[in-house]
Amino acid sequence: MNAEAPTQHSFLSGTPLRILVGLILVVNGMFPALWILFTSLKTEAELTAKPITWLPHAPTIANYLRAFTDQPLLLFLFNSFMVAILSTALTLFISVLAAYALARLQLRARDLILSAIIAVSTFPLVTLLVPLFEIMRALNLLNTWVALILPYTVLSLPVCTLILVSFFEGIPRDLENSAMIDGCTRIGALFKVVVPLSAPGVFTAGILAFVNAWDEFLLALSFNSNPMLRTLPVGITLYQGEFAFPWPVISAALVVGIVPVAVLIVIFQERVVSGLTSGGIKG
Amino acid sequence: MATASETSVVPTHNESATKWWTRFLDPSERTLAVLLLAPAALLLALIIVYPVCRLVWTSFQNLSLTSGVPAEFAGLENYRLMLDDPVFWETTWNTVLITLITVPGALFVGLAMALMANLPFKTKWPVRLSLLIPWALPLSFAGLIFAWFFHSEYGVVNDVLRRLGFEGVIWFNSANWAFAAICLTIIWKTSSFMALIILAGLQTIPRSLYEAAEVDGAGRMRQFFEITLPLLKPAIVVALIFRTITALQTFDIPFTMTRGGPGTSTATLAMYIHQNTVDFLDLGYGSALAVVMFALSMCVTAVYLRMIRAKG
Repeated sequence: MNAEAPTQHSFLSGTPLRILVGLILVVNGMFPALWILFTSLKTEAELTAKPITWLPHAPTIANYLRAFTDQPLLLFLFNSFMVAILSTALTLFISVLAAYALARLQLRARDLILSAIIAVSTFPLVTLLVPLFEIMRALNLLNTWVALILPYTVLSLPVCTLILVSFFEGIPRDLENSAMIDGCTRIGALFKVVVPLSAPGVFTAGILAFVNAWDEFLLALSFNSNPMLRTLPVGITLYQGEFAFPWPVISAALVVGIVPVAVLIVIFQERVVSGLTSGGIKG
Repeated sequence: MATASETSVVPTHNESATKWWTRFLDPSERTLAVLLLAPAALLLALIIVYPVCRLVWTSFQNLSLTSGVPAEFAGLENYRLMLDDPVFWETTWNTVLITLITVPGALFVGLAMALMANLPFKTKWPVRLSLLIPWALPLSFAGLIFAWFFHSEYGVVNDVLRRLGFEGVIWFNSANWAFAAICLTIIWKTSSFMALIILAGLQTIPRSLYEAAEVDGAGRMRQFFEITLPLLKPAIVVALIFRTITALQTFDIPFTMTRGGPGTSTATLAMYIHQNTVDFLDLGYGSALAVVMFALSMCVTAVYLRMIRAKG
């Protein structure tokens, strides 16, 4: 940390220093993921050698094979993927409708609703563990995807709605009106004109919702005790080794879990940054 | 409702305007607003409003699913039990301590990272990606990866310590070291989010302000404290509110790193709520604990809101 790092661009603009600073940031951000990748490629013998090695001497994919055969990792992936995709779809659908009402229609309670949305985004969902557990139990939804999809949708609804409101407000009303003159209904115009034109916003909102759902742990751990319904984070955390925590297998499973989100982030990095910094956010 | 439709910009349909399905597809403005907001409202009612009411109600109940006894009203019994429960105090204290350490920690590290990332790099994606990856990584993954980092035998942290000539530390056998490892992990995981928010704030500060300050002979430190920090304040406050509220809910990282151990020395309030609810099925007590956490996070929101309003 450099206490004197200024915000203007004259100081520290010497190339070697700038490269050093960049390197610090890159190492800080990437090292843990890289380290777990290295770990996953090492043989068990190499992992327990002392002193420890940094780069794998004889890279092997044995740990990956074991990760998929020792435990139903593919099923965990499938559960995570389905829960994340379905909750993202539901979040987008509900927040597109709500955002359109907030951006376009004359609502007397508009400010009130917007404040309520911001309040919900700071709401500690953990505190609702007991009542949500009871509700899911009463509705016979424990050990189903739905038990997770509904709360995850609420988790992302505020951010997505706020992002979409700001995008919808940027679409000229004339485009919508001419679609309606051509015989579109208002809802038709929303889905045929407004949503396609707001595609970047919809995408951004979707990625945030997906990452939120992919990352969630506590509810997934609490509501789905059936091992066949575990999501990836829960499945990997509850991996049981014969004696010690099976690090080689865990590290391979972690890499498998990191890849989908990493790909998403690499492809859509600019979108994600703009989405994160525009609306209210969950850390 | 008729007046609302007159003020709308929707062109009136001449033909078949009276058919019910047309009216359903093209309703008046106010009806449409209600229809569009209904799914969100219903979902929030099911997942937030009703559960909050239920939470408060259950916290006054004697409701344990293991005892087989039907729920009965218990008044403040759960809250009285809580005051005498050393684990409640310990986990609450741990939660507060984690918040007090990791929120400022993430703010300072995040601020430093944002200032560094704001330099004019020629290729921007490596730095941007390095800030995004820790954010996108699941908390539980971060916990597992850092548990491996801090592994006493094969961990990279102890390896570096030994190479530097220190003794390795058995991190997870001692309450203090385990707590330190957890806090470091949380700071690493959350500081990049802080950095992203602060970086966005930095990029809105007009360069001309610094040029003017330069002309007036203000040094870099003065520029930082009198231009950069004050203009960053809104971004920092927003980031702090979210970070503090999520810090109070800390669960994933201690759970994956230590399961609260040794003993309950690194357990958080969220972990204790989870244990009482899911493991002990003592829903009454779990609810009372959750009400406390709810109150804590409401206090935080209130304090921050007052701060924003006071300083405008």
